[in-house]
Amino acid sequence: MADAALSTAPRAARGGSLALRLRQNAGLLGAIGLFVLFYGVYNLYHPRGFSQQVLIQNANEVFTIALVAMAQTVPVILGGLDLSVGAVMTLVNCLASHLVTGSAGEIALGILACLAAGTAFGFLNGCVVVFGRIQPIIATLATGAIAIGLALFLRPKPGGKLDADLSWAMTNSLGDFAETYGLFDGGQAPWFQPIAGIPVPLVLLVLVAVCVWMPFRRTLTGRTVYAVGSAEGAAFMSGLPIARAKLAAFTLAGFFAGVGGLFLAIQTSTGNADIPQAGAYTLNSIAAVVIGGTSLLGGTGGAVASVVGALVLRAISFNFRIFDIPPLMQPLVEGLVLLAAVSLGALRALRTRNRLELFR
Amino acid sequence: MMRSLRLPAAVVAGLLLSTAAAVAAPKTVSGPGPDPQCFKPWKADTKYMQWPKKDGPYRVAIVNGFVGNTWRIQMIQTAKAYAEQPGMKDRIKELKVVSTGTDVAAQLGAMEDFINQGYDAIVTIAVAPDGFDRVIRLADRNNVVVVPFDNVLDTDKVMQVNEDQLEIGRISARHILKELGSKREGKILEVRGLPGNSVDRDRHLGFREVMEKEAPKFQIIEIVGNWDDGTSQKATADALAVHGRFDAVFTQGGSTGTVRAMMDAKHPFVPMAGEAENGYRKLIAEHAKDGLKGLSYGQSAGLVAISMKAALSALEGNPMPQLISVPIPVEDYTTLKAGVNYWPDLTDNFFAANAFPACGVNISAPEIMAKDAKNVQ
Repeated sequence: MADAALSTAPRAARGGSLALRLRQNAGLLGAIGLFVLFYGVYNLYHPRGFSQQVLIQNANEVFTIALVAMAQTVPVILGGLDLSVGAVMTLVNCLASHLVTGSAGEIALGILACLAAGTAFGFLNGCVVVFGRIQPIIATLATGAIAIGLALFLRPKPGGKLDADLSWAMTNSLGDFAETYGLFDGGQAPWFQPIAGIPVPLVLLVLVAVCVWMPFRRTLTGRTVYAVGSAEGAAFMSGLPIARAKLAAFTLAGFFAGVGGLFLAIQTSTGNADIPQAGAYTLNSIAAVVIGGTSLLGGTGGAVASVVGALVLRAISFNFRIFDIPPLMQPLVEGLVLLAAVSLGALRALRTRNRLELFR
Repeated sequence: MMRSLRLPAAVVAGLLLSTAAAVAAPKTVSGPGPDPQCFKPWKADTKYMQWPKKDGPYRVAIVNGFVGNTWRIQMIQTAKAYAEQPGMKDRIKELKVVSTGTDVAAQLGAMEDFINQGYDAIVTIAVAPDGFDRVIRLADRNNVVVVPFDNVLDTDKVMQVNEDQLEIGRISARHILKELGSKREGKILEVRGLPGNSVDRDRHLGFREVMEKEAPKFQIIEIVGNWDDGTSQKATADALAVHGRFDAVFTQGGSTGTVRAMMDAKHPFVPMAGEAENGYRKLIAEHAKDGLKGLSYGQSAGLVAISMKAALSALEGNPMPQLISVPIPVEDYTTLKAGVNYWPDLTDNFFAANAFPACGVNISAPEIMAKDAKNVQ
């Protein structure tokens, strides 16, 4: 019953006005605009701009932070923060450096085990938050430390060796992937040519977004995540499954972070329990979420928007490789651009007719 | 069945071909190379590498990881200043410096970007000792010389420049044992660097190697100082509160902080080994007579200059040692001289060892710190 009530209302509105939807997604549109600007300028001035190599290189660089940003988004929509995403990413990274090697079957099992580990850790986060009734930010601060501890236990020092073919295939174009594994006539099949140049990480990113995130946000549980972030009391009074939504949100975050960690392991062929790096990923994920237009207060936004946020974050630093910005000024420039980017989201404050609107 | 067998075989053959193409770039040759005083091979059996000769002037990129401590800033400034020196200026067409933070994906991306941009050499401080296979493969395909220094990689496929970190640990242990005289029992404080880092690991292993052999009865208390004055001062203060008294201290970095924590806790001065911060050297000079019998080794920020020099030499087609050992600049309380290897009038926060006469790298530390504004621009 609740399901029906929730799903009919937005469907009616969806047919309504495009203008409304654009206004609701102003933050995301701003982020897309910024990305097009930064990435376009970068490619224009790059000696090999708009080429396959540059796209592959950028896709590899962006994938992990994009996934960690997606991971961060779900708890943020819930109105919380997950400080363990970078740590879970690192944990799965170290786990993968032990498991993703050997025969094809072992590799497949290893990949499944890594994804399961990330998901399980996310579920654990959810349990601590739901059953322990602890604020997400504190709960995940603690579980994040546990994840790093486990990662250090698995990899006291950087090392391990992932399957070399897998590393090469996953970090190149679809054509190289097909060639490595002898699919589609070694990547030479005529029908395959139009898509052979697409980077594998980009395909994976789209797959995760389309096959995991988008179906999830349409389910009752997914919409409850939004409802909880918007007004937990009202969601409770409406009889929505709040505990289930919270568990699902953190579990999904664990899964996304796990995919990110797995890819980082594949990309670098090794595992590394790098504590500063885990911290950097967590912080950057929050930045990406905000740039993507998701409110830290919860209730709005989405994981795809955060991917765009992560793209903006990375595209800013891409430009440092092209333009002559003094090295010690780069963090300052990056900070200023970021501040400007997140300020775009606050512009709506100038247009509201009633200040009360600002509170939601 | 046949088909399923043939496919993997074709894949393997294809991979072998691509690997053959990939390793074509630097040839393994026999030494010696040019300038053996400066480009000293790590060991007698260190192999030599040779890249196809390219015509200059060259485009050089420096891909730094973490930025935000004095050492890294001094390193960047040294690189900028060195590229402007006569003899280098006309050989370097363009020098680009980026810092990617402690994120390996960003660092890999930046290196790959410079390869795609057609740079000739990439000098880098790796954020992790592993994980650069892909970039090395691409660099080899494009005849780009990659030179990791300071935090080097666990591979012999690239030319690398460093000081022997194991030896730094050993020198520190030997100095402490020498200054302790016949005392072979008690507590020693070891302040470690950034966890997970190869420099931290090797210094620690070298130190422990000597200590375990020569004086196994010492109890060594290990704390983490992150090579940072503030962190090391706090960690040391905590350790002093818990353990009371130490007979000697080995600090990997943030040495000034370590000493200050001991002074604050009214801990008597004891034999020490530490980094080359100017502040630490100032404290040694001042308190050596009270018992601060310090040794100060320098992992010099000037390593970047030697790495750049080595990269250019490789681009000019010279055979180069795969692993270049730069002599460790060491001073102790008996050899410190004001205005020569420490500067009483200057700030604590720079690394006093910066010049390498054997390599023609003669940018002294105060020179760098004095004209910083100009060099950064």
